Amino acid sequence: MDVVVARAAGRERRWVPTVRSLLIGALVPTVAAVLALAANPLGEASAVAIFMLAVTVAAIWGGLWSGVLAAVGASLALPVLVEPAGGARFEGSRDLIAAVVFLAIAVVLGLVVGNATDERHRAERREREARLLAHLSGTLLGGDLPERALDEFAQLLLEPFGLAACRVEVSLDGTPLRASATRGEGGGPSEVVPIIVGQVPLGTLVAERPVGARPFGRDERQLLEAATRQAAVALDRARLDARARLAQLDAETSQLRAAMFSSVTHDLRTPLASIKAGVTSLLDETAHHDPEQRRELLTTILEETDRLNRLVGNILDLAKIRAGALIPRRTPTAIDEIAEAVVERIRSRAPEVRVELRFAPRLPDAAVDPVQIDQVLTNLLENAVRHSPAGGTVRVHLAQAGRAVRVRVADEGPGIPPEEREKVFEAFYRGGRAPETSGSGLGLTIAKAIVTAHGGRIWVEETTGGGTAVVFDVPIEEAHL
Amino acid sequence: MKVLVVDDEPQIRRALRTSLEAHDYEVVTVGTGEEGVVGVADLAPDLLLLDLGLPDVDGTEVIRRVRAFSEVPIIVLSVREAQTDKVAALDAGADDYVTKPFAMEELLARARAALRRAQPDEPTQPILRFGSLEIDLARRLVTREGEAVHLTPTEYALLEALVTNPGKLLTHQWLLRRVWGQGYGTETTYLRTYVRMLRKKLGDDASSPALIITEPGVGYRWVAEPAG
Repeated sequence: MDVVVARAAGRERRWVPTVRSLLIGALVPTVAAVLALAANPLGEASAVAIFMLAVTVAAIWGGLWSGVLAAVGASLALPVLVEPAGGARFEGSRDLIAAVVFLAIAVVLGLVVGNATDERHRAERREREARLLAHLSGTLLGGDLPERALDEFAQLLLEPFGLAACRVEVSLDGTPLRASATRGEGGGPSEVVPIIVGQVPLGTLVAERPVGARPFGRDERQLLEAATRQAAVALDRARLDARARLAQLDAETSQLRAAMFSSVTHDLRTPLASIKAGVTSLLDETAHHDPEQRRELLTTILEETDRLNRLVGNILDLAKIRAGALIPRRTPTAIDEIAEAVVERIRSRAPEVRVELRFAPRLPDAAVDPVQIDQVLTNLLENAVRHSPAGGTVRVHLAQAGRAVRVRVADEGPGIPPEEREKVFEAFYRGGRAPETSGSGLGLTIAKAIVTAHGGRIWVEETTGGGTAVVFDVPIEEAHL
Repeated sequence: MKVLVVDDEPQIRRALRTSLEAHDYEVVTVGTGEEGVVGVADLAPDLLLLDLGLPDVDGTEVIRRVRAFSEVPIIVLSVREAQTDKVAALDAGADDYVTKPFAMEELLARARAALRRAQPDEPTQPILRFGSLEIDLARRLVTREGEAVHLTPTEYALLEALVTNPGKLLTHQWLLRRVWGQGYGTETTYLRTYVRMLRKKLGDDASSPALIITEPGVGYRWVAEPAG
């Protein structure tokens, strides 16, 4: 940051001649005199004009004191350089008039220039202050964590204010927050500014200069207060943000819980409904079941019992994942062999959908837990089959992708809109396009947990036909690299 | 008797079809709400068994659409057991609500009751008998074991609403509007008070009712089967 505001205001210095202004005041008439000498013999009018120019230049360049000094110099030099033209009396009055004119020019121009310079300084300072404040508020409102933003804020104040140390101590909703920045030894003049939002004090800002540094000026104090107000606003926003986030998290958690509850209720009761209807029907002595009907009912009961069992397994898996008990037992594994077995199993379970398996001929082994990867593949394939139209094709493709084995399971189902592609991995999420009673809503959640535990990643892509492809990477066995 | 089953679960469709066919019902099953509405229009079934959680339209909406053109008895079969779901479905025009999982006997009994109510050719008897209880709808007289039971006009109106809809689950809102008038609908405490009075006068025991069953949070049902 190149903003420096710790500088005495120009106005205060104006009535004291600086070395620079005296140098200019001495230099300019000397140059004028040299020019006048060089142009010898010089007419009276020309000489006066040259010195007038010199005074003007000095006053504009160096301000009031340069102008006055130049005027004095010019008044002294004029009689020496220009031969008296008509008697000492006239000569004396001429030089006096010239001296008064020179002085008048110097004073008027010097004051005008001085005012303009003051204005410019003020404008520059305001600009610097505005830039500093803008920078500070940018830093504070940048959406960073309050701690980090405050540290940076303290750091940013060091240089502009010439500080050795800057400390901020606040309390946000009972949480103490500290930030500080130092640059060399402190112990000099210090300033304590309260940080206040509305009427509520949040804390203080302490600015400290090195030993022997000049005390804080009024302007600097004001600017420091303005900077502190920026911090206060930002802190207040951070506090409100945190509250809003907490409230949102709360709402999401209870929403998730409600969704989970209704989902589990639904998923457990639906197969139970078929089982109970079947059993009570078989027990009903007033009904006349022929052997075919009995078989139908018993088959339904059997299938629904399996489904219930799978669901309970999934829920237990999820519980295990949540408890952090899912640790892969990695062994060098040929994923293509697992895929073949899973595909075979799915084919027999869902004959109405075609399942196609392709893999590279020399696929390297992966460092995975075969049982867990079997489950990932089973979940992905079950999903794909469930979302496939009758007669559709599910394509399973295995290939090496860098240091990973990449598995892609694509279906010809209705696809998943881009905004839902992340959500499908959330527990009990069901796509809007999926039938309500299809899966457990846990398959992809479990798959993601397993893949992540293997250090891999899993994501959803669109297929060219508008269907869904779930893709995952798991690391290749080291020996193959 | 033709029954249309609307449920997106193939297994429950199969179980219902087999069980109902074993009781000589003619069964047609469909998997979506749209097919359900069209099915009612095309097949004119005698009974509609409807799941609420359908993939396309919610079951409550299906009830509303069907009620726009048909008075077919509708029994809702759902895993949703929240009172609000039941009330919404019943207020939309469903006749009964059976929570999954259910026993076939129960569903069959509810189905029989719904079908009986819907019989258009069976004129309502002016005198109804439930055991020793006798209700003369024409003269507005109620006797119990031969003794006259004195009912206030509101109590009688409530009794009439119940006995003329035997077996049907009547929601609080429906009963309040029917007995107290259109401006009512949320004053369930009135209803509770009058049902208690009615039970007392009719000799019904609230802990094991033989006449009026309370469906907590939803409404009441007249369960006594008329005798003779």
